[in-house]
Amino acid sequence: MSLEISTEERDRGGAGTPLLEARTLTKHFPLGRGAVVRAVDGVDFQVLKGETLGVVGESGCGKSTTARVVMQLILQDKGEMLFDGEAVGSAALSLKEYRRQAQMVFQDSYASLNPRLTIEDSIAFGPTVHGVPKSGAILRARDLLARVGLDPARFAARYPHELSGGQRQRVNIARALALGPRLVILDEAVSALDKSVEAQVLNLLMDLREEFGLTYIFISHDLNVVRFISDRVMVMYLGEVVEIGPVDELYDDPRHPYTRALLSAMPSMDPDNRTMEAPLAGDPPNPINPPEGCRFHPRCPQAQTVCAKVKPVLTRTGAGARLAACHMEIAGSGHSRALGLEDAA
Amino acid sequence: MNPASTSTLLVAMENVTVRFRGAQNVHAVNGVSLTLEPGKVLGILGESGSGKSVTLKTLLRLLPESRTDIGGTVIVDGRDVLALGPQELADYRGRATSMIFQDPMLALDPVYTIGEQIAEAIVRHEKISRKAAMQRALELLQLVRIPSPERRLKAYPHEMSGGMRQRAMIALALAARPKLLLADEPTTALDATVQIQILLLLRQLQRDLGMGVIFVTHDIGVAVEVSDRLAVMYAGQIVETGTVRELISDPQHPYTRGLLAANLHGAKKGERLEAIPGAPPALNEPPSSCSFAPRCKHAEDRCRTGLPPAIVLGEGRIVRCTRAEAELAPA
Repeated sequence: MSLEISTEERDRGGAGTPLLEARTLTKHFPLGRGAVVRAVDGVDFQVLKGETLGVVGESGCGKSTTARVVMQLILQDKGEMLFDGEAVGSAALSLKEYRRQAQMVFQDSYASLNPRLTIEDSIAFGPTVHGVPKSGAILRARDLLARVGLDPARFAARYPHELSGGQRQRVNIARALALGPRLVILDEAVSALDKSVEAQVLNLLMDLREEFGLTYIFISHDLNVVRFISDRVMVMYLGEVVEIGPVDELYDDPRHPYTRALLSAMPSMDPDNRTMEAPLAGDPPNPINPPEGCRFHPRCPQAQTVCAKVKPVLTRTGAGARLAACHMEIAGSGHSRALGLEDAA
Repeated sequence: MNPASTSTLLVAMENVTVRFRGAQNVHAVNGVSLTLEPGKVLGILGESGSGKSVTLKTLLRLLPESRTDIGGTVIVDGRDVLALGPQELADYRGRATSMIFQDPMLALDPVYTIGEQIAEAIVRHEKISRKAAMQRALELLQLVRIPSPERRLKAYPHEMSGGMRQRAMIALALAARPKLLLADEPTTALDATVQIQILLLLRQLQRDLGMGVIFVTHDIGVAVEVSDRLAVMYAGQIVETGTVRELISDPQHPYTRGLLAANLHGAKKGERLEAIPGAPPALNEPPSSCSFAPRCKHAEDRCRTGLPPAIVLGEGRIVRCTRAEAELAPA
């Protein structure tokens, strides 16, 4: 079995169709006694073919739950996903077939591997489940090990505990690629690595993206890394998307006050120009009983009456294809700084 | 060491080595010398296994004595830390030097309230009543700006958010008014918007109380935000020291340069990163040559045969690299 899988062959919807489209994805976790964690609450986004969508936000914003729902490791309460134009879980695209095409790499490289399997067996496991003969799957596992920079002669027969963190994460990446996926979800996949090793793995991810024509969803709390690797970025807060758009536009001119706060919380890297004031006070609230209206309004320096009452919808803003969910970006919303009521400058 | 020059220093570590004994020995710290003036902040920057946390724990004698060999001298506030007896050590800890950790949930006791824990530390070091100690605990919670401090005094650690627990741990560390605060990655587990709050708080407390601080982190951005001077550690040695400005704008050691590039600050999108190849060495033997040489693209024969000299580029500006010597020679 060849490792080369032409993406064109499988490209059913054509270049214009997003590879993944999430529509009002919702996942609530009941806690008992009526309390509900609104982990993901009506999230809409698209991932275009061949792009890397960065996802940022703080603890409890729902970025990992979103990833798990996209991967269908947990099922959504509401909403649907289209993969290359076809509904995931429908007759046209069964869950098993979808999972061949979407794979995930987790943060904890050790917990993600079966400690009792050699790494070549771990990589070959998925393909054998999908009907590839064992010998062919092993050959392919060795080929993949070589592609992620681990010499198969030295590493194939080792167990996870015999590898360093960076090497294990390379194994997890090889395993994710074993089924020839089109979409790879990287959930804090480089966050546990040391900086010098992280740079090696980022280089590897960029090479593989090109070589295999991959599309990435890249989840990270590290805003420098996200800026470096992403084409577009989605910012989440308390289970909702607050802003999404092309990476440079979003970093250079953030439109949502939360995006602004998050970006200005980054260390300055300039000893002559240190950060003098924290952009926000307190911790991110937890997503049990989130605030009415705009969920950010209790911490927002620009909040007005309308923000506490009406939930702002994602609205086109800025120069390009950017969306922000803020009343200041919605003409006639009732916010005094909204476009159309006062000078937008 | 010249006693006249060290008497004004808050911390003077001289050629400190730390070895953990076991089935395989680990030479975690291999000849670290550093100094800290009172009221200054030193950032120690390094990756996992570089020996930065072990160096910090040596200053508080927190390493398991039965399995650890410590060499060299450690002087803090005029005291020979390695020679302290059990009673002196107990007086020293918390009073002269105190420490904050990455995970306050582990550092705080889950079965006592925040107020009880802080008051206990005060009563241990000062002859005052419990009631007065509780009042001081309240003032400390105000000092670290915990909202509604009266209520938080009676709270247990699990009832607080991550940022608030970190503030409570800082209050506990400051309870006996230490001259030296050791900080071991205190903001690593925090969200970005909370991290900057804690960094600004530490910076302000350090200034207001005139404390010396040694701040260990793997994050260059964080180190730049809080430090006056930086020391970069690799394989149990300090490979470069200088002011923050010197290290950021003019890094000399190839490892420091690699770390700065890997931070991605200002990295060009889509371009390959100048990654340092390979991984740090195992430390089962003490180094006999440059520990970084196997990963260094500039390595020469002499890097692999002998220890690199510590080259002094200026006041407190030291680089442990033979190349620094070569670059300076023609000038």
